[in-house]
Amino acid sequence: METLRAVNVSKSYGKLQVLKGINLSVKKGEVLSIIGPSGSGKSTLLRCLCGLESIDSGEIYINDEPLIADRFSHRHLATKIGMIFQSFNLFPHMTSLENVMLAPMKVKGLSKRKAEKLAKELLIRVGLGDKINYRPSQLSGGQQQRVAIARALAMQPDIMLFDEPTSALDPELVGEVLEVIAQLAKEGMTMIIVTHEMLFAKEISNRVIFMDEGSIIEEGSPQEIFVNPSNPRTRAFLRRLLPHFGSSLIEGEKENEVRL
Amino acid sequence: MKLDFSIVFPYLPMFFKGAKATIEASILAILIGLAIGTIVGVGRVIPLKPINFIAWLYVYVIRGTPLLVQLFMIYFGLPSIGVELEAFTAGVIGLGINSGGYVAEIVRGGIEAVPKGQLEAAKVLGLSYIQTMWHIVLPQAIRNMLPALGNEFITLVKESSLLSTLAITELTMVGQQVRSVTFASFEVFIVVALIYLVITTAVSTLVRYIERKWQVR
Repeated sequence: METLRAVNVSKSYGKLQVLKGINLSVKKGEVLSIIGPSGSGKSTLLRCLCGLESIDSGEIYINDEPLIADRFSHRHLATKIGMIFQSFNLFPHMTSLENVMLAPMKVKGLSKRKAEKLAKELLIRVGLGDKINYRPSQLSGGQQQRVAIARALAMQPDIMLFDEPTSALDPELVGEVLEVIAQLAKEGMTMIIVTHEMLFAKEISNRVIFMDEGSIIEEGSPQEIFVNPSNPRTRAFLRRLLPHFGSSLIEGEKENEVRL
Repeated sequence: MKLDFSIVFPYLPMFFKGAKATIEASILAILIGLAIGTIVGVGRVIPLKPINFIAWLYVYVIRGTPLLVQLFMIYFGLPSIGVELEAFTAGVIGLGINSGGYVAEIVRGGIEAVPKGQLEAAKVLGLSYIQTMWHIVLPQAIRNMLPALGNEFITLVKESSLLSTLAITELTMVGQQVRSVTFASFEVFIVVALIYLVITTAVSTLVRYIERKWQVR
């Protein structure tokens, strides 16, 4: 079954068309990565998929139910889609535990005890069992992002969207967040990840999409996209990001030779 | 020229009575101002255009006209349409309505200072607008607002001296009365100023105490 499907989705800000007829689908348990230069519409696409932005035309289906802004309330949508932001967006006046507990209690109507139990389990799962009573300001960026992941998981969504989850992090903190995401993937969580971490995308994804200027330029397995992309724009993009990309193509080296 | 404060001492009980009226009027006006300001300030940001306009108009008119004129309209003007208020009541209402306009802008600023990303996170988590306001925005907004609110309260205490024009025997009025019998103008108003200073110091100390207590650690 397709957990999420976008059909011919378009979106403009004034005269600028940011999404030009995007088609994509994600099957249950699949991990889809979206790569591409900044300004290519990746983040806007994710924001449309989770209902933060309205679309001008096209359709979005979650579990084959159409997502229409007025019929599909955010309350309902929240149990289907989890969203992770680049800037974490934790609530600074609440502890980790309270951040995770809030939505299950207020949106799903869980009792305080049940919500607390769930939140503790999730925080332990992301490796922050010892930080449940810390406020976001007392946590590192990596820890904050892991709390944000626990907070999204607490709504038990069918699909998780990650919008450049490690872009705001110091390099040494990227690993711990990617590890948590990889763990989720292993557990079968359906995910769409917008990322600039090419190696991570290559390792974790079932499928990769390359976007540029509001369109999907190329779509394929990580192997196809990262090792042998057919589109010159994809090649140019990867060459900029992966210094050894070109040489590995010429010399026909194995995929594991591709290094950042 | 020499200052002789001993002339003023016999009148100290009068000053204290005046100070009491000033404090009472200020506290009542602050409460009215907070109530109006919260409603109008929230009215400025909720996604309802007509309400936004009414709230904007309120702030626009209140901030754009003198407090003294507003007080005169309430005390001298309203009776002509059959609403007669006691001087103290009229004064407190006028101060409160006026303060409400300024508090509204502080409330709006406090709300808008909460980063948009948090509102988006709340939306994606399925929280309703009211839940988001109540659990996410207002607790942070109140902390953001405290320093500006402290200023507003101090301003209000000082502006309450205008109530003397409505013949309310608050601190400034007492000063004028004592001056007219003692002719010790400088001494009298130095005492009046000192008492205002004590009141405003108390206000700012209280606000700073609350600020520290509510700080996000």
